[in-house]
Amino acid sequence: MTEAWATAVFLIALFALLGSSVWVGLALMGVAWVGMELFTSRPAGDAMLTTIWASSSSWTLTALPLFIWMGEILYRTRLSEDMFRGLAPWMRGLPGGLLHTNIAGCTVFAAVSGSSAATLTTVGKMSIPELRSRGYPEYMIIGTLAGAATLGLMIPPSLTLIVYGVTINESITQLFMAGIIPGLVLAGLFMSYIIGWHYVRPSEHATPEPKMSFGAMLNESRFLAPVLMLVFAVIGSMYFGWATATEAAAVGVLGALLLAALQRSLNWQTFSASLMGATRTSAMIALILMGAAFLSLAMGFTGLPRALAAYIDTLGLSPITLIAALTVFYIILGMFLDGISSVVLTMAIVEPMIRQAGIDVIWFGIFIVVVVEMAQVTPPIGFNLFVLQGMTNHEIGYIAKTAIPMVGLMLLMVVILVIWPELATWLPETIRQSRS
Amino acid sequence: MRDFGPIWGLPLWVWIFVLPALLVSLAALRPRQAEPVLRPLWALLDKVYLAAGLIAALGMISILLLIVAQMVARWSSVAFPGSTDYAGYAMAATSFFALAHALTRGAHIRVSVFLNMTPGTRFYLDAFAMFIAALIATFFARYAIKTTGFSVLLNDRTQGQDQVPEWLLSAVSLLGTWPWNWAEVWAARGDEWVFTPLWLPQIPMCIGSVLLAVALWDYLSRLLVTGHTAIVKEGLE
Repeated sequence: MTEAWATAVFLIALFALLGSSVWVGLALMGVAWVGMELFTSRPAGDAMLTTIWASSSSWTLTALPLFIWMGEILYRTRLSEDMFRGLAPWMRGLPGGLLHTNIAGCTVFAAVSGSSAATLTTVGKMSIPELRSRGYPEYMIIGTLAGAATLGLMIPPSLTLIVYGVTINESITQLFMAGIIPGLVLAGLFMSYIIGWHYVRPSEHATPEPKMSFGAMLNESRFLAPVLMLVFAVIGSMYFGWATATEAAAVGVLGALLLAALQRSLNWQTFSASLMGATRTSAMIALILMGAAFLSLAMGFTGLPRALAAYIDTLGLSPITLIAALTVFYIILGMFLDGISSVVLTMAIVEPMIRQAGIDVIWFGIFIVVVVEMAQVTPPIGFNLFVLQGMTNHEIGYIAKTAIPMVGLMLLMVVILVIWPELATWLPETIRQSRS
Repeated sequence: MRDFGPIWGLPLWVWIFVLPALLVSLAALRPRQAEPVLRPLWALLDKVYLAAGLIAALGMISILLLIVAQMVARWSSVAFPGSTDYAGYAMAATSFFALAHALTRGAHIRVSVFLNMTPGTRFYLDAFAMFIAALIATFFARYAIKTTGFSVLLNDRTQGQDQVPEWLLSAVSLLGTWPWNWAEVWAARGDEWVFTPLWLPQIPMCIGSVLLAVALWDYLSRLLVTGHTAIVKEGLE
């Protein structure tokens, strides 16, 4: 019965601390502290600091600040303008027209940034006013943008995947590779939604764009070439095994600085702003990781995760039932917590569970990203909703309503991942085999 | 509460938990008198947090440089022993030094559903959360110092291939000795390279966690004295 008692104490302490708005990282430390004092005879403080030191001085973690910095640099360049100008000529012919620039823009920016809020701001800054002036319906502009920006979490480099990989000790490169195809499939789903809208609601079409010659199209998109080269350098160097994830991140930072310099948007002010912004964001994530490291240690001492995994095992759930249950669980959790916090908070419990059930951990990383992506656009706490509210002055409720079809598509994506797990596992598997 | 032995006649937990709490409550009870006393202190501490943030930014740059150096070394087949460990230390320094700075700029994430629910209870909930957070951060800082002290005591060395020059160790250890002993310590320095003793990279952990605890008590006092939170959020998350 001690396990039930321990579970209750952990859960109550956790909800009390998080609910009373204690910062997430410190709240996790507090819960672990209470748990250690109550259920073990080990000195809590010494164990805490040994774990925290080991987890925060780890080499694998260094990819995190560098990828954050890379995104911060690009966020401060003129990239948003270039992206719209470069992508628009190619999208105007598609059914649904320039709305596709939202999706394509987010996909491209997601490949250089790991944050969904940065993706949203960069793409939205240009596309919202441009699409409005062309008469596209507001709910389509906002909804597709809110949904597509979550691709920032899935398409590598992805901060959530780095944190997941560090937490469960799996290769970050493998996880990044696993994210590519599902990310593109999800982008495809969003685009097909726009195409569907085009045929279902002909009355809402915007005025068609004038024809453009192929040469003019190429000329307009020359601005995109540097970003695409950067994407290739970062993802390609990992794909071909030239660099580890951390080294690819360093290449990304240098490339982003070069790109900003070429655009003449690199000056002392943008450099220091990007550096300080990245420092703060990585300290934020580091604090959550410290708290999570201590909490998993404390829970490990109580034997809770193993007992729970064994209990789930005795239920004889099929993996599909387990995944369905976890989906519901993460959606509820995501209503109150951001993606990274919900990943680190639950992995100590969930990891033994999924390993016991024989679920591939790389696949599970992609699954968890899709599910926490949904949390970004569902109220009451959805970061994309907040960012969009700041950009458009719409009510949160209105923005959330426009994003509902996108949430549906992400649920569909979960189903697709369950039916065809190869979408996530094929690419990393192929690379693993070609290396050995 | 074992392990909090007496210092200057009082248990350690009185000094680090009760005393700040009493000072903060005192400021809350007499905000008019406290404000002129505290204001210069706040201004000074803000500079300290910012300075630590700048050091953290230097740590970030050094991560980049270390990794670039590692790549260049690999391509040109030059050995760079311990590069991953150095990058790990720089990572720790970046995270810890920036903790307090990130707090003051509202970068740390919290669940704000209940905080934003009613304006009337916001103040009390915020104060409660800051108080709890300050207790946890103080606990954290106390054991960060203890762990580093133990690394000195046990002369814990790195598990990796990273080395540091002995003069650097002597220079840093000057900070832990009285100035009148400096000449002696400095004269005793060696000029070899030795495997990194763990206390050296752990010093940023001590400084950073202490600053976080101080910042939380500090911002709690600001909240209680002025009646509104001093954390200003800027930019993206």
